[in-house]
Amino acid sequence: MNVFIRKNLLRLIILIVLAGLFVAAAAGMESQDFLITLLRGLSVGSLTFLVASGFSLIFGLLDVLNLAHGTLFMIGAYIGWTVYVRSDTFMDLLTPLALILSGFLLRDVWSLLSTRLPAAGRMKRILPWAGILVSGLILFSVLRNYPIAIWDVGDYAQSPVSISYLASQGQNVQPPPATFETISPLMAFAGLIAGSLLLAFSLSLFGAGKQAEASRITWRSFTGFAAFLLAGIIFFIFNNLFTAFLAGLNTNWLFLIAVLVAVGSGAGLGALMETTLIRPLYIRPIYQLMLTLGLSAIGIEMVRAVWGRPEFTMPRPELFAGTGEGCPATSLAGWWQYHCSTMMLMDGRIRVFNEIFIPIIGVVVLVAVWILLQRSRLGMIIRAGVQDREMVEALGINVRRVFTQVFALGVGLAALGGVLAAPSIGLSNMMGESFLLNALIALAIGGLTSYPGAALGSLLVGLLQQFIIKYGQIGIAIPFTEIVFKPSPPIVPASIILLMVVVLLILPNGLLGKKE
Amino acid sequence: MAKDTLFSTLKQNQGMLFTLLVFILLPFVVGLFNGASPAQVWLNESGHSKFIQGLAIEIFILALYALSYDLIFGFTGLLSFGHSMFFAVGAYLTGILLKSFGFSLAATFGMLFLAGIVQALLFGMVLPRVKGITFALVTLGMASVFHVLVISTELGEYTGSDVGLQGVVVPAFISPASERLRLYFVTLTILILVFLLYKRFVNSPTGRVCTAIRENEGRALMLGYNTFFFKLAALMLSSLTAALAGGLHTIYQPIVSPNVAGLGYTVTALLIILIGGVGTLNGALVGAVVFRLLDYGLRRYIGESASFINGAIYVAIVLFLPYGIVGTWKLKSMNLRQGWDRLLGMLNTASKEK
Repeated sequence: MNVFIRKNLLRLIILIVLAGLFVAAAAGMESQDFLITLLRGLSVGSLTFLVASGFSLIFGLLDVLNLAHGTLFMIGAYIGWTVYVRSDTFMDLLTPLALILSGFLLRDVWSLLSTRLPAAGRMKRILPWAGILVSGLILFSVLRNYPIAIWDVGDYAQSPVSISYLASQGQNVQPPPATFETISPLMAFAGLIAGSLLLAFSLSLFGAGKQAEASRITWRSFTGFAAFLLAGIIFFIFNNLFTAFLAGLNTNWLFLIAVLVAVGSGAGLGALMETTLIRPLYIRPIYQLMLTLGLSAIGIEMVRAVWGRPEFTMPRPELFAGTGEGCPATSLAGWWQYHCSTMMLMDGRIRVFNEIFIPIIGVVVLVAVWILLQRSRLGMIIRAGVQDREMVEALGINVRRVFTQVFALGVGLAALGGVLAAPSIGLSNMMGESFLLNALIALAIGGLTSYPGAALGSLLVGLLQQFIIKYGQIGIAIPFTEIVFKPSPPIVPASIILLMVVVLLILPNGLLGKKE
Repeated sequence: MAKDTLFSTLKQNQGMLFTLLVFILLPFVVGLFNGASPAQVWLNESGHSKFIQGLAIEIFILALYALSYDLIFGFTGLLSFGHSMFFAVGAYLTGILLKSFGFSLAATFGMLFLAGIVQALLFGMVLPRVKGITFALVTLGMASVFHVLVISTELGEYTGSDVGLQGVVVPAFISPASERLRLYFVTLTILILVFLLYKRFVNSPTGRVCTAIRENEGRALMLGYNTFFFKLAALMLSSLTAALAGGLHTIYQPIVSPNVAGLGYTVTALLIILIGGVGTLNGALVGAVVFRLLDYGLRRYIGESASFINGAIYVAIVLFLPYGIVGTWKLKSMNLRQGWDRLLGMLNTASKEK
């Protein structure tokens, strides 16, 4: 016990000082104000944690500072919004997406073909680029007539998503959204499939010769392709049926679907990013900063191109949206009965989704990822890799695959954070950036590569921020004087940064980080 | 003998001298293209030439700023996310001293010198304590505190809070409106002097130790160097240069926006030297030119989606020019030279065998 105290003296002193501050902050305000602020802090802390935990896993294992993490958080929110609010657009998107992806599932065929290709010398170098160009042209000419996005760089404000959204709000919009009818569906199908096949083949040509050997082609090689093709066709034929089904669905289930889709596509995006862009840069770590910054700018502009300019709001699911009879609820049972959006707790009015649901999800994710890290084989490899990557590689573990999985996991968590944040803070293009900065600060406070540190840091950041905001409203009476100090809005980000600087100067590795 | 050495130095630096000549002639050539004689350009009467001069002045200032970041990040290996503070302190101090306190230009630059030293000492205070990414975050913290100070309403009288500092009156003899050509040459001269100073510093024994610290700090310590003082020296030179760049920024643009104190402006410096090539002095110059022209050209000709294409270009640079423009070019030219040597050697042996 003595040894423990002596080793962690600084850490304990900081924690005691923080606890003291917390108590002082609690004493300075009324109990219902305190409760609301506490819950809000927990809510912001949970969202920050969802960004920070993925960031820290990626940084710990891969040594990549993924500055595009905030953008991926934002993309998750937008995907969730599309599924939840515009499920018809979502169904329209599924067909081309499935068809384009289908070509990439014929990996065995491509690797065999590329080794058998007789072309040599210059042809071999030109062929892949020509293939990409041609397939790009085909896909472009088909997708141009498909109501997903206007690829007119001069004019974003009129993207089809925002047009259809405005139309559904009962506003008169010009022009009406284009439909698939401008080219025949058969042509479009053929174009999408041909483009996808050609693209996948030409991309595989780049790696030709690097692969060890082509595996044999069996019927299994075609199953993925066939499944996606079939899915694309089914989605197209029964588009109206699915749309009607989704539209008629209870919004609670729809929200669940939105969360799942957002997390899944976030994980997919992460895996794609890692395998194609990040992987060549492990030997040049500094350039990852530039790459991820560039990707972040691209991501924001892509979202602007697809979703248009306006900032959206996302209605809360039914379970949290009730008003009227019996609301605000006085207890959890009352909330369950009337599905109230707010409830009274110790005379304070709190929003159930923001201040109760999000922290609960935060805790659930915290525990789930903790179990994953502690109890599964993947978690074991991750923890070992964070400690010493070379040793894990030397033991013959395929670290590459684990890297991809961890990147996908991290981005998936960020996307989950985004879709959860959407109903409470609304969607905008820049919503991710402040969360990224918060997460970075939280990680610095808690310890950059430590998972419990990410949780503790996020909690501190969320609480401190909310308490300062609250005190900005009611003011702090400075003892022995008449002055009431009201922190102005710019002090909110500065306060958490100051906390970070103080903690880092005393403990350079953060509160829970290990010494190098 | 003396003549020979002079000639050989000229020949060694012919690329640099050529670039210099281009920049000296640039305002006049641009004037000629628009039908303004050199005399008119000299009297600041050619509008188009003035515009190009303004763009070039911005590039020079960016280049100074990027050079200062390259010194601490590219040569000494200190990753700082608070570098914009150096620049912003220079910019705001110049503006406030000129506007609110009526200092003369010389006195202002004297104060800039002091401010540069104080800032370097401030960053130096945390140097022994934190390293690597933690240093970056602590410096980010310091810069953010300065950013908050600048945009806070309490100091709005001096800094103009979030609107920015406006209405700085620049002494007439260097005013960007009426005497732009003079300002152009003054900035160019400062850039050249700073560049030569940096070149001297990097190749001096002190600079060599800085490079050693970047490569392996432990080993430099083992060899008996007190790395703290070398890092502090690099920080000080860097902070002075950045403050100077900030001062010039205020003189050229009598408006200082609070954005120059934010994290985004540090990222600008980082991007510039990543584009040009980390750890090369020429890289900072090339990077500044490419960065500013890209930004300007894309915003002018493409408009809305400029940052999309900007981002795509960054990704492409990372993938296709792995060590920045100058860095990759150095590697390639070295390979070419080796290849030529090998080829010539083969030819020689072949001719001898005959």
